[in-house]
Amino acid sequence: MQENYLAKWLSDELSEEELREFKSSEAYTSYQKLKEASSRLAAPDFDADQALQRLKDEHIDNAPKVITLNPFKKFLRVAAVIAVLIAGSYFYINTLDEKVSTEFAERSEVVLPDDSEIFLNADSQISYSKKNWDNKRNVDLMGEAFFKVAKGKKFTVSTDHGTVAVLGTQFNVENRKGFFEVTCYEGLVSVTHNNKESKLPAGTSFLVINGNIVSAGTPDGSAPSWMNNESSFESIPLKYVFAELERQFNIKVTTENIDTNLLFTGSFNNTDLNMALKSISTPSKTRFTIDGDNVLFYAGNTLQ
Amino acid sequence: MSNVCEDHVFSKVFKTHSKTVFNYIFYKFGNEEKAHDAVQEAFVKLWQNCAKVSPEKAKSYVYTIANNLYLNVLKAEKVRLKHADSLVKDRTHESPEFLMEEKEYKKKLDDAINALPDNQRTTFLLNRIDGKKYAEIAEMEGVSVKAIEKRMHLALKSLREQIDGI
Repeated sequence: MQENYLAKWLSDELSEEELREFKSSEAYTSYQKLKEASSRLAAPDFDADQALQRLKDEHIDNAPKVITLNPFKKFLRVAAVIAVLIAGSYFYINTLDEKVSTEFAERSEVVLPDDSEIFLNADSQISYSKKNWDNKRNVDLMGEAFFKVAKGKKFTVSTDHGTVAVLGTQFNVENRKGFFEVTCYEGLVSVTHNNKESKLPAGTSFLVINGNIVSAGTPDGSAPSWMNNESSFESIPLKYVFAELERQFNIKVTTENIDTNLLFTGSFNNTDLNMALKSISTPSKTRFTIDGDNVLFYAGNTLQ
Repeated sequence: MSNVCEDHVFSKVFKTHSKTVFNYIFYKFGNEEKAHDAVQEAFVKLWQNCAKVSPEKAKSYVYTIANNLYLNVLKAEKVRLKHADSLVKDRTHESPEFLMEEKEYKKKLDDAINALPDNQRTTFLLNRIDGKKYAEIAEMEGVSVKAIEKRMHLALKSLREQIDGI
């Protein structure tokens, strides 16, 4: 018998001789019965048409849709990101405060949304919310500015020294390092310094030097002198006078053998440096030399 | 040149081979539901790769996919087959004893088939039920015709031994 003769027998590949031999074996009847019985076996029902329909419904017919959807989804994703960015930056820009600043020897004028005016002295900066202006009239100030406030709701000027609140008036705020002065020219101004409120009627000043409230002289005229190109001082330590000089002329002031805490009363012109220097040196009995943008003040009795 | 991507070609391939794929997986694992899934899976893959698979290769492609799908994943269950009644209606044999004997034999055959190793059972049933030639089965399984003949021979041998209680 050849190899795998049972398989050959099933597929009718046995030779006549082999078949005869197989038929005579005792196992033949069993195999014959097995062949017959197994030919009547059946697998579970399978509906090819139904399976094909399911395949088409669930997978194939959906497939092209998925393909066409994909680029659109991608587009949507990109569009969503762009929309968020645009909306985000729009809101961000809108909430950004308007900022105006001046450099040394520079001045600027700002008209607020309600026609209030702000005049910025040298080396100063204001910021305010243009969008929210109608709800909250607030200006953050660093440096010095003169305000002409239009009548209306409460108007506040915030500085790191305190808050100035008004209803429609004209006043000047100078907010420098160690120096804070509010001068009211018209109406009534309320100054809150160290949580203490002070009312300033027209023609009065509120002055804080190095954290101490100092009684200040009465201002002249209806606007701060710097508006007329003049810096005026009344019993102000010399160092603040020099600081103002530096700001107005964009120069560097150094001193030698001078007590800069000495009080100075007087004024200097903001347009002519030579005149200004003389205006300071004469009453303070000091001398000065100019070297480019550098000015040296020294005690009158020493040197030369 | 016909392409599997064309709907009518694909449908033809499906109608020709889906039942065999179904039976093939069913004989292997005895799980009807998984056999249905295998058909879907195999032909979806064929559709997705229709440009790469020629109609001639489609047949072995779907068998390979179906086979790999559950390889080492699915544990074989009992294969439940249907037994058609004998075509030869022999009145004289329809005695209660004969019917009893027949019923017993069917049960023995079922048990013996289930006792076969997966590959022998699959080969045996593809031949007996689906009438697949050894060469076709060899192609589906990706082995030589001789290997299929061997499986068939061994399957018959163990079935007979099991049934006759040798």
